[in-house]
Amino acid sequence: MRRPSLIIGGLMLVTAFFWSTPFLWTLVASFRPQSAGGIGMASLVPDYVPTLGHFKEAFETGDFGVYYVNTAIVAFGILAVQIVTISLAGYAFARLSFPGRDFIFYVFLLQLMLVPPILIVPNLRTIVDLGLYGSLLGVMAPYFASAFGTFLMRQTFRQIPRDFEEAAVIDGAHWWQTLWHVLLPMAKPGLIAFSLVSLMAHWNEFLWPLMVLNEPSTQTLTIGLASFALGTEGGREWGLLAAGTLLVMFPLLALFAVFQRQFVNSFMFAGLKG
Amino acid sequence: MRWLSSLSAIAVALVAGAAQAQTKIDFFFPVPVDGKLAKEMTRLVKVYNDSQKDIAVTAVYTGSYDETKLKAQAAANAGKPPGLVLMSANFVLDLKLAGDIVSLEPLLKAENTTRLKFLDDFWPALWANATVDGELYAIPFQNSTPLLYYNKEHFKAAGLDPEKPPQTWAELVDAAKKLSTAEHTGFGLPEGYDYMGWIMEALCLSNGGRYYNEEYGGEVYYDTPTMLGAVQFVEDLVFKHRVMQQGVVEGPALSTNFLAGKVSMMLLSTGSLSFIRDNMKQAYGVAFVPRNLRNAVPIGGGSLVMFKGLADDQKAAAWKFAKWLSSTETLGGWSRFTGYFAPRKSSYDTAEMKDFMAKNPEAKVAIEQLPYAKPWFATYQTVAVRKALEDEVQAVLNGKKKAAQAVKDAQKNADTLMKPYADQTALKVP
Repeated sequence: MRRPSLIIGGLMLVTAFFWSTPFLWTLVASFRPQSAGGIGMASLVPDYVPTLGHFKEAFETGDFGVYYVNTAIVAFGILAVQIVTISLAGYAFARLSFPGRDFIFYVFLLQLMLVPPILIVPNLRTIVDLGLYGSLLGVMAPYFASAFGTFLMRQTFRQIPRDFEEAAVIDGAHWWQTLWHVLLPMAKPGLIAFSLVSLMAHWNEFLWPLMVLNEPSTQTLTIGLASFALGTEGGREWGLLAAGTLLVMFPLLALFAVFQRQFVNSFMFAGLKG
Repeated sequence: MRWLSSLSAIAVALVAGAAQAQTKIDFFFPVPVDGKLAKEMTRLVKVYNDSQKDIAVTAVYTGSYDETKLKAQAAANAGKPPGLVLMSANFVLDLKLAGDIVSLEPLLKAENTTRLKFLDDFWPALWANATVDGELYAIPFQNSTPLLYYNKEHFKAAGLDPEKPPQTWAELVDAAKKLSTAEHTGFGLPEGYDYMGWIMEALCLSNGGRYYNEEYGGEVYYDTPTMLGAVQFVEDLVFKHRVMQQGVVEGPALSTNFLAGKVSMMLLSTGSLSFIRDNMKQAYGVAFVPRNLRNAVPIGGGSLVMFKGLADDQKAAAWKFAKWLSSTETLGGWSRFTGYFAPRKSSYDTAEMKDFMAKNPEAKVAIEQLPYAKPWFATYQTVAVRKALEDEVQAVLNGKKKAAQAVKDAQKNADTLMKPYADQTALKVP
């Protein structure tokens, strides 16, 4: 029994190493003194005296403080509203019976099959009509309802035995009390799994915020990063790019490190793959 | 959820600029060279805003040229057209055919001037990409041509004269063979999308060809002796002379290789001059793109355009701002900062520019090459038609196709893409 587990362990180590190579390189390159060229730029070995120069330059090039605040407002704002809408919608599809329930649910799911870029122009028109063009709320609005989240919550609620609710109903609880005190606490793993997916998606989103936002004071992290990354006609400052990338992904990485156990547990419960 | 509403309040407050009597316009600009330019552009726009009171310009960084196009089109369709957009010079025709941008002729007329008078100070090579069907649609702002960059120390080590870079394809192959060692390859081209098409135009032009019909948007000349020769040259550099890396090398990787001394010569944009100057440790030189039959290069870079749907006061404001941005002084300063060449001839008569040229003689090569510059290819569906060729040349670079087959397939795919336009225009006969 020992030998196979050793082999499997070794294989997993190798896989983990390959998988983490981009992250390791980003980390090593962001502290490397030279930025643009040099043979050593591609190396994974930190054979240098580390410098914070690239981070300093990144902060000088972009207004990262503002970008962080804006990105946090967008990502957490979307999530806050989504949790309300998907819980209520998931509850409705899981527990209430009304005519056409399944049909409406499938229509809802159809939304998952649309490729987001084709919705850019119609969504932008709606945002302009609502007077939200150029505002962070305009970036958030189209995501307030989530087909994926609704589906996930419906499945999660359906897995919870009805006995719990019936006990609450006998005690005289209203449906919203049942939802708040009984169902939601039990659906926490599902909510956490969804939160992770939603936060990652909106933290890293580029195209839609680029479409909606204009003022420098409303830009998000990804747009700030793009000014380092999209120069094709010039050369590329790898060190600066690595530092900028690290700045963008660091908060999410820290969040994941802190809540790692809960995330992993929630995925095992929800039967999802990241 | 009280905090949510306060969050939204913050969000709304963040964008609710004070209502002013000024005309407010957005200026969309991409940053095709590097991140510092975004800051410099924002500074320039602030200088303009502070210099007068009637117009307030918001400088909006919009990613790459492709994303800028997407954003400007989406915004115009949603009823919020930007006042002015810095757009890839070869998107102008495509945008005009799609009805997205407006002619600048009425604005010229209102000032009792003509297109010819307006363009007189701009380098003649830039005129074609600024006009469509005899009307002015764009103002050249930042421009480039390809250049040959070479490592002088490698030249010396290989026994070549570092002051005599290769001038012809034959000399290029000779030099590249001598320069290829275990440590570095002799020659490299930027082969990612966009760059590849531009470089193939440079090679096709140097081979006496035309790439596309400058007068009509529905025709490209891929399956021709001149383009076949250019693609064959690329194939031979890799597989016959073995002086170029096999596979597709993107522009940023190529310039990194050049800085690291991994490649001895390369073709790259004049727009990279500042970057190479700032980062190259070894001695380097720049020279004309080597010719097979003639010296000729395409221009590249970006122009200022106006989208449809602007109110009259916004249009007037955008025009004023565009004239300021494309003034002799502003263009000269932008050129010195970026490495692009200034589209106005008069920019080079200013004292600052003369001083700069004296200190940076390699910037002069780009200007000396300008008399040989030709327009940048622009057709109906420019990007897709360009990719039709790029995909084939990349297949050649990967050793999956031969040049002769590649140009045939590229022509066939390009013709299919342009057929709807050709059917509506040249093929629509009574």
